[in-house]
Amino acid sequence: MEFDWTDEDLSYRSELQDFLAEELPGRWEGATAVLGSADNAEYSRRFAGLLAEKGWLTPHWPTEWGGTGATPWMLAVLGEELWSRGEPRGPQYMNVNWIGPSIMAHGTVDQCQRYLPAIAAGDVIWCQGFSEPEAGTDLASLQTRAVRDGDDYVVNGSKIWTSYGDIADHCYLLVRTDPQAERHRGISVLLMAMDSPGLVVRPIPGMVGEHSFTELFLTDVRIPVANRLGPENEGWSVVREALSFERVGAPRWARAAHVLDETVRGALEQGRSIDPMAVEAVGLAKSACEAARVLCYRVIDERARDVPPSPHANVARVAMVKAERLVADACAAIEGNEIMRYGSDSDLQMRKSLAAGVAAGTYEVQLNLVSRRHLRLPKS
Amino acid sequence: MDFTLSAHQEAVLDAVGTLLSRHAGPARLHGLGGDEPGYDHDLDKRLAEAGFLDIAEPGSICRLDAALVLEAIAGSLASSAAGWRLLVIPTLGIDVDGPVAVVPEGHSGPARFAADADTLVVIGDDHVRLVRPDRGAARIRSRLGWPVGDLYGLPAGGVIHDAPVSEVRSWARVAVATEMVGAMQFALDITVQHVSDRRQFDRAIGSFQAVQHGLAECAVAVEGAHWLALEAAFTGAAGTAAAALTQASEASKLIFRRTHQYHGAMGFTREYDLHLATVRLLALRSEAESLGRPAAACAREHWGI
Repeated sequence: MEFDWTDEDLSYRSELQDFLAEELPGRWEGATAVLGSADNAEYSRRFAGLLAEKGWLTPHWPTEWGGTGATPWMLAVLGEELWSRGEPRGPQYMNVNWIGPSIMAHGTVDQCQRYLPAIAAGDVIWCQGFSEPEAGTDLASLQTRAVRDGDDYVVNGSKIWTSYGDIADHCYLLVRTDPQAERHRGISVLLMAMDSPGLVVRPIPGMVGEHSFTELFLTDVRIPVANRLGPENEGWSVVREALSFERVGAPRWARAAHVLDETVRGALEQGRSIDPMAVEAVGLAKSACEAARVLCYRVIDERARDVPPSPHANVARVAMVKAERLVADACAAIEGNEIMRYGSDSDLQMRKSLAAGVAAGTYEVQLNLVSRRHLRLPKS
Repeated sequence: MDFTLSAHQEAVLDAVGTLLSRHAGPARLHGLGGDEPGYDHDLDKRLAEAGFLDIAEPGSICRLDAALVLEAIAGSLASSAAGWRLLVIPTLGIDVDGPVAVVPEGHSGPARFAADADTLVVIGDDHVRLVRPDRGAARIRSRLGWPVGDLYGLPAGGVIHDAPVSEVRSWARVAVATEMVGAMQFALDITVQHVSDRRQFDRAIGSFQAVQHGLAECAVAVEGAHWLALEAAFTGAAGTAAAALTQASEASKLIFRRTHQYHGAMGFTREYDLHLATVRLLALRSEAESLGRPAAACAREHWGI
């Protein structure tokens, strides 16, 4: 056991920081606006393209698909540095973290050749078609129906809370292909082009400030059978594996810690005094970010040693949610009335912390998994 | 980074585990007086003879092995000042034998081990003193699971020139955090066992989601404190030490309330082991506070505020 960074990781971080200091001084302004907007999508494409040129967009991928064989630790460093600057890759972090790896693991040669180079080059945006009006946390109850018709599936149904649906090129779509089967068994993954006839995208304005959601309505949308990822009716195991990448793939603690740091420094630079109660809130929030950090590192260590996904990822995720919420409290304590100013640190952090316990699996579901898989408590 | 034990660390923990299974544990603590125990000189002697109390390498900033050993000792509910010996004394570059007590300058009142200590480490704002009292402070009745003495008027003198004051304070934080983690893990483990075994309404009470969520939050809190304390012991970083103590201190509040709550009335009987661990947390938290409020210290270490 030891907690040192390798020289290689340290020099990678330093090279990355130099690059970001030039390309992206301070936090990315786009992070404070509505991310689904066309301007921000364009910025993300340009920025991801720059990263791709440096080999930093998909460094952890195998070299045959545009990777550089980077270690999970280097990927963690990349994630931390980018999230602490507002995640300028925008929606592309999903592509590189789990959509691409999922296609690599389950895709045909043709699918890999069709989709992976574009992701590795940074010029494509994906969205995920998971939740439905009646299938949120209970995702396996999804009802969007896909029926075989020759070489196509004909898809009908709707998806909701789809981030980036209005700007995406493709959708990683979950559909039900066998309504008679046990509910986890009849699900398949389809890779859908977002310009498919019969698909209507409706924006849903969000109050979170991070991005707007969309709703997808699918009416007789034809998706080629060749676009199915993995075996028919076995999409549940495909997506579960994909989401194990997602759990700590987004180091939200790094962004929260950065916001806290900027808020404290901002107050000090403006000569504002920080009262003792706010100092306590700041220290508590900082310690929670540190706990989330070290718990995420434990998961990365497992990944680096090729250990199968463990409940430690759920433990880390719970800690990240707590950290984000405490940072929101601390920012509010420091800034006082500034929370009333739209776009202030405390205003933004309050909004982001709301999403923290919902996105990528609710806080309560994570607690269920911690109690069942980590503590091994009896099933309800 | 490597979160797994090295072969050497595993061997050390195996050895100390064997020693503790024979000479420490809740039954031993009951024998020493339960929640108002005497000092376990016999255990200290055995730990010292086996070399565990001198495991921190002199001059090295890394005290990870010492912290691992301390966590095991704390988890066995030892009535010993091993924490101060293992993590604070090595900062002073001196050898001591026998029990140690650590208190802030000007301290007056109850302190762990003060009645048994051969050595008193006094931490001031800008100095550290080492006092070897002629006789211990008066033992007072305390039911928080530790031998406690009443310090009234600290002896003068004993200033250690050029002592690294902030490092001493920082290592004291790591020691308290690590001791808290050991006691919390004990309390959490027996609570998980209890709610898995105890049946009401024809089902294990640990199958109720309210109980599950409560314990899952406890587990996450303890895990965070555990890994932060170990990281702090490895790096010796003051910011991490303060963060570890803040998280341990916060976690101890959850653990205290919830482990007792989920045990029902049995949890507050003296014959059952739970309280031996939980009441200790109250004493440790008060010591954490006496080193400067943990969260405020964490903010100060990171931003100077």
